[in-house]
Amino acid sequence: MTALLETRGVWQRFGGLVANSDVSISVGRGEIVGLIGPNGAGKSTLFNLIAGVLPPTQGSIWFDGEDVTNLPAAERCQRGVGRTFQVVKSFETMTVIDNVIVGALVRNTVMRVARRKAHEVLEFTGLAARADVLASDLVPAEKRRLEVARALATEPKLLLLDEVLTGLTPTEAQTGVALVRKVRDAGITVLMVEHVMEIVMPLVDRAIVLDLGKVLVEGKPADVVRDPKVIKAYLGDRHAVGA
Amino acid sequence: MGLLYGLIAVGLALIFGLMDVTNFAHGEFLMIAMYASFFLFAFFAIDPLLSAPLVAAAMFVFGAVIYLLIVRFAMRAKANAGMVQIFTTFGLAIVLRGLAQLFFTPDYRSIPQSWLGGKTVSIAGIFLPQPQLVGALVSIAAFAGLYFFIHRTDFGRALEATREDPGAVALVGIDKNRVFAFGWGLGAALVGLAGAIMSVFFYIYPDVGASFALIAYVTVALGGFGSVFGAFAGGIVVGLVEAVTALMLPPSLKSVGIYAVYLLVVFIRPRGLFGSM
Amino acid sequence: MDKNFAARRRRDLIIAAVLAAIAALAPLFVKNVYVQNILVLTLMYAALSQSWNILSGYCGQISLGHALYFGIGAYTTELLFTKFGVLPWFGMLAGGGIAAVIAMGLGYPFFRLRGHYFVIATIVIAEIGLLLFQNWEWAGAALGITIPVRGDSWLKFQFMRSKLPYFYFALALCCIAWFVTWWLEDSKWGFWWRAVKDNPEAAESLGVVVFNSKMGAAAVSAFLVAVGGAFYAQFLAYIDPESVMGFQFSLLMALPAVLGGIGTLWGPVLGAAILIPMTELTRSYIGGSGRGVDLIVYGTLIVLISLALPQGLVSLLSRSKAKGATR
Repeated sequence: MTALLETRGVWQRFGGLVANSDVSISVGRGEIVGLIGPNGAGKSTLFNLIAGVLPPTQGSIWFDGEDVTNLPAAERCQRGVGRTFQVVKSFETMTVIDNVIVGALVRNTVMRVARRKAHEVLEFTGLAARADVLASDLVPAEKRRLEVARALATEPKLLLLDEVLTGLTPTEAQTGVALVRKVRDAGITVLMVEHVMEIVMPLVDRAIVLDLGKVLVEGKPADVVRDPKVIKAYLGDRHAVGA
Repeated sequence: MGLLYGLIAVGLALIFGLMDVTNFAHGEFLMIAMYASFFLFAFFAIDPLLSAPLVAAAMFVFGAVIYLLIVRFAMRAKANAGMVQIFTTFGLAIVLRGLAQLFFTPDYRSIPQSWLGGKTVSIAGIFLPQPQLVGALVSIAAFAGLYFFIHRTDFGRALEATREDPGAVALVGIDKNRVFAFGWGLGAALVGLAGAIMSVFFYIYPDVGASFALIAYVTVALGGFGSVFGAFAGGIVVGLVEAVTALMLPPSLKSVGIYAVYLLVVFIRPRGLFGSM
Repeated sequence: MDKNFAARRRRDLIIAAVLAAIAALAPLFVKNVYVQNILVLTLMYAALSQSWNILSGYCGQISLGHALYFGIGAYTTELLFTKFGVLPWFGMLAGGGIAAVIAMGLGYPFFRLRGHYFVIATIVIAEIGLLLFQNWEWAGAALGITIPVRGDSWLKFQFMRSKLPYFYFALALCCIAWFVTWWLEDSKWGFWWRAVKDNPEAAESLGVVVFNSKMGAAAVSAFLVAVGGAFYAQFLAYIDPESVMGFQFSLLMALPAVLGGIGTLWGPVLGAAILIPMTELTRSYIGGSGRGVDLIVYGTLIVLISLALPQGLVSLLSRSKAKGATR
């Protein structure tokens, strides 16, 4: 069975800085994969490469059996890649439901259908009660969920979550974890970047650790956590892992 | 050719005020400065060259006041911030023009007898009008001064910092309003300087600001918003282009060259030549 | 929830129909030609502003160079009419088409610009257009074109004896512009535009091809404005570059929207209804002597509105909804 997402020998250079070097990972259908690593490991850059925000300096990216390396973000979304942003980018002047409708329009160009789909997604993510609220009036945790809802409305095959659980209270985090599980149960593959180890490790099927732009280790969470290289990467790093 | 260069470069110091926010009323600031010069001459017989510093100082106050009274609020807009600034300053421009028409009448004025007016000086066999030459020198001096001010003094750096992150500087104890007010005052003072000098060889009337305003914005945008050096460089480019265009095309089309260059540059480098915004 | 929304949409439509009907009956009560003139202009600017709003309000690409399209509409129609005998009705459509194509052509290199750079580019382009027309001999250069008017004719769209037909045309144009906005507001285009305005990067991540949306908005906007320009030309029976491509038009298209509520359905119409009569009246009664009081009033109003009510006057009417009629 071919993996849903594959990066093959991806390099990303910004001038003299190498953000990602020779990264080859794969994500299989139905998995929840965690992408972790200390600050500056190149996780966000890799994310942006997968999402299509910029093309890699070298290497290729394959999605669902197709070479999408040169496809821009909007087209990758049409192919089934959905993403959230680490720094929430809601459409501030639009209501919650209108935000989600924008996402739904990718697959459903008939307004009535798009609207209905948006309602369903809001129910799914627990935001139904806030549907008519302006996005700018939401609390941060709700805005995070709106990010997810919007991306879900595009009916993605792969959902890229960029630090959706960081900085939440324990209760909020638990709700978030439940949501991610729900997403996978609905048949969507998830690739998530995270810092918060205690929360992420029990959630993911597999973990990929990046350090200094390279893939350090990958495998089951329990194994990865005990890997001496990983421990060294984290403890030896000045930037402590956030909680 | 050199004269145009100097002239426009002066016009550029105009735009300094734009470092903080787009000031569509800048042309009107120029207009006011020119009128101030005129009246100082008419009532007190002070030559514009001498009154220039006075006019500059007065404009400084004026600019700061405008900021404190009006612009400060424009910058607080949450949504559509850019638009609010544009239209607020635009409205201001119209009001100023209206006031000028009301108090000064739409008649054209000019300063007939001034120290430098109408005189030329010969350099290397080329006759150059003195006022423009002085203007050029003054503008170079002004730019140099400005450059050092921004980059070397504490205050200059505070201005840059505040422009980039108003929230953060509050933590360091900088009052952003005071900084911006000063910035606006400085910008207005510079255009005041320009106005005083230009009043010697240009007609003065309420709409005079508008004619220069567009060139000024194009110059700043060409050089890139947020860069003083860019404004200076932009001015030089604009001056040269205008001179060249005037040679090749009929006079009524002389601005086309400038506009075309702007579009070209901005197409290649969406942030202008040296822009940081 | 959906019922509420659908009801609101219907309500807007009904209000529009009622207002249009009232407006249509107005000429029966208003015989004063001067007032009729103001009405015609108000309707025209309402239509223009509404069209401008599509690109600049909904899609967020502020253009202060829309006078270009206005002028293109005017010139295309009149050149076709005076030089080739093409009826203005066709000329109008041609003008609209050309304007739309030019808008898209300009969008190609310039939509990548952001914020102030874009605005200045639009101003500059319009100025270039103005300068070119001022020097184009075949099009009359600075002297412009006078349209030969020989009696009333619907075919040639010229009327000497009464302003009424112009009034109805302007009303129709205004209704069309409003309706197009209403329709597009609840369409994928409307949503895409607003997404692009608020956050282009996020829009892209949701499958919106930002560039195409901007082009679409530009084309629709330019087309309608050009038709307005054609109308104006027929109305005045005379055009010259300054009078149809001058910067004041770009401003007058934008200001009603800013006043009434940029990016909203009713904003431009409301803004035009207030701004245009006020401008005309102050200009005739006070500003005629060139004393500029009309400018002072005008400018102050703009400043106050921009500062106090950046959402425009419509926000006063609906505290609970912030923008548009979609919610």
